[in-house]
Amino acid sequence: MSMLSAIHLRKEYANVVAVDDVSLNVEGGEIFGLLGPNGAGKTTTIRMIMNIIAPDRGEVQFKGRAFDETARNSFGYLPEERGLYRKNRLLNTIVYFATLKGMTVAEAKRRAYDWLKRFDLLAYYDRKVEELSKGNQQKVQFIISIIHDPALVILDEPFSGLDPVNQILLKDILLELKQRGKALIFSTHMMEQAEKLCDKICLISKGKVVLEGGLSEVKQRFGTNTVQLEFDGDGSFLSKVRSVEHLILYENTAEFEIGSQSGPGEILREIAQRVNVKRFELREPSLQSIFLKMVGHEG
Amino acid sequence: MTKAFTVARWEYIEKVKSKAFLITLFLMPIIMISFGVIPSLLASRPDKDSKIIGIIDLNGEIVQPLSKYLDERYKLPDGRPNYVLRTIQLSPDSNVNSAKISADSITTGGEIEGYLVINKSIMVDTTVDYHSLNVGNFRVTERLSKTLRDVVVEKKLLTQGLDPVRIKELTRQIDLRTIKLSKSGKEEESGFEQAFFSSYVFMMMMLFLVMTSGQLLVRSMLEEKSNRVIEVLMSSCSATDLMAGKIIGLSGLGFTQLGFWALIGIAISLKFAITLVSFTSALLLLVYFVLGYLLYAAIFVAAGSPVSTEQEAQQITSYLTIVLVLPIVLSLPIMQDPNSLMVKVLSFIPLLTPTMMAMRIPIQVPSVFEILVSISILFLSTIGAMWIAGKIFRTAILITGKRPGLHELFRLLRTP
Repeated sequence: MSMLSAIHLRKEYANVVAVDDVSLNVEGGEIFGLLGPNGAGKTTTIRMIMNIIAPDRGEVQFKGRAFDETARNSFGYLPEERGLYRKNRLLNTIVYFATLKGMTVAEAKRRAYDWLKRFDLLAYYDRKVEELSKGNQQKVQFIISIIHDPALVILDEPFSGLDPVNQILLKDILLELKQRGKALIFSTHMMEQAEKLCDKICLISKGKVVLEGGLSEVKQRFGTNTVQLEFDGDGSFLSKVRSVEHLILYENTAEFEIGSQSGPGEILREIAQRVNVKRFELREPSLQSIFLKMVGHEG
Repeated sequence: MTKAFTVARWEYIEKVKSKAFLITLFLMPIIMISFGVIPSLLASRPDKDSKIIGIIDLNGEIVQPLSKYLDERYKLPDGRPNYVLRTIQLSPDSNVNSAKISADSITTGGEIEGYLVINKSIMVDTTVDYHSLNVGNFRVTERLSKTLRDVVVEKKLLTQGLDPVRIKELTRQIDLRTIKLSKSGKEEESGFEQAFFSSYVFMMMMLFLVMTSGQLLVRSMLEEKSNRVIEVLMSSCSATDLMAGKIIGLSGLGFTQLGFWALIGIAISLKFAITLVSFTSALLLLVYFVLGYLLYAAIFVAAGSPVSTEQEAQQITSYLTIVLVLPIVLSLPIMQDPNSLMVKVLSFIPLLTPTMMAMRIPIQVPSVFEILVSISILFLSTIGAMWIAGKIFRTAILITGKRPGLHELFRLLRTP
């Protein structure tokens, strides 16, 4: 039995279909990547899952049962658009949200202290929220989303705005939650992060699911004729090389697919004449290139 | 519903602790009291020094009696005369204008308070000119005109051949001694002023409560919308709980403020022996008060939840305030005849019921039938308004940016 099943969800606004027949299944102990370009319908889908808005059609089941109010206490949610009550004290704010999730004040306080300590925020517990830096406020919001030990956590762009040290801390906590059997839905535009963390992905575009499945299985579906290239020099010529397709070019790295006209050996030789090749690897495509391939032309 | 109380507790406790709330709580009575007390204190304060009043007496027979009367009647606390007349001499050619010019200069110089110009024809005139920098000083002008009148009347009577002793007796001053009556039971209930006063207090309380909590409601929704907390809240509790919690918590805040001020008010009114209504009437008023208040709260929620900028919030609250103030504007004509058919009909319109009843109950309690019907209508409208507000709130609270039009709001009502 899945932790969460969304079945044929549909939501229509005044003149657009925001979500059209989206179904997903998320199991406990799994990080599920909900991916898609801006305006694809991710937030609307999440809102329907959290029962913030009602779907026009379809149903959301939590642990195999239709939604009821008590299920809310098992949900944790970090929305993409961040914010907190500015004038209120840190600890009070956290305790308020925790009690709204059904915790007692005493228990909420105890756990709030633990989490504040872990995020190195203990010194601020009696400060007003507005006195904290943006990054610290974001950590507080993350604490709010998991303090009640929810079975299902939905995180919308949790890493944005965090420095590398805190990104690692957050990643560790997410993996811990996963190990403890929680279901995590992770919504992001950052394909590299999704690639590192997700077990399963679902790519939404224009309100429809365009791609879904286990991460490695999805990648294999796209074959192993993708080249990961690392080099020194000017790579701008790559776009003109024969059989180089779907090129994504950065300063010192590039990723492309090999077309049918020539083999990898030929291409490597040609590239090696122009730049200093440090790595040339033939493998399945990155999530980034899959994303671009699926929705890139539409944007 | 426990979550509604969690929300209510948060809204109440966090705001009750805020500096803004405490400042208003204590500052408001101080301001109100000082507005009521200070001006009358200032006005009744005696002068410190004698005031010198110039006089250009073209008639020639006024200075002396006027000066005498002023001396007799108005004295400073230390016994010195309050007003001293100084005759402004006419130049040999009897030019009034040159006398005025010199009087003007000593007035502006601050030497004299002002000056009177008594015409030759004072006995037939109806006015006397008083020139001063400060013509707004009612006490001076009132006393001068009163004393002058007495002088002129006495002179006229003298010319009629009346005996001076008799004149004194005929024109005897009558002073009003004011005695405050303490309440003695039934009599006051029919007193128009007191009935008016308690209705008025009731309406003001209602207006105040609706305005403050209504504004707090709109602001709190706007805040949660703009800081995006709303999504987390909506994932934690149902929209109904959230809305109910807000209404309960913020009303509690309004009631706290009102209760505190009412205590001060009761203390003051006890001192001045103002009667309030009987217990049954008070209970009845309370029912109307609570229901009416909830109806307005629902309207504030419905109108305030689609709002996403400060300016819109301002607009919405001021429109709603106008609707609120309307019954109070109507109150005076209605008070003249609280049992007229028009008033009876208006009593059944839910938005007006509480204020209409507030005006009627202290004067004459309406029939049981009227009370039951009006309460039922009000109750059902309140439930209906809450239901509609809940529908709008649930979706509109998530809308940021463009405010939804009426058409869209109706669409929201149809969604399950």
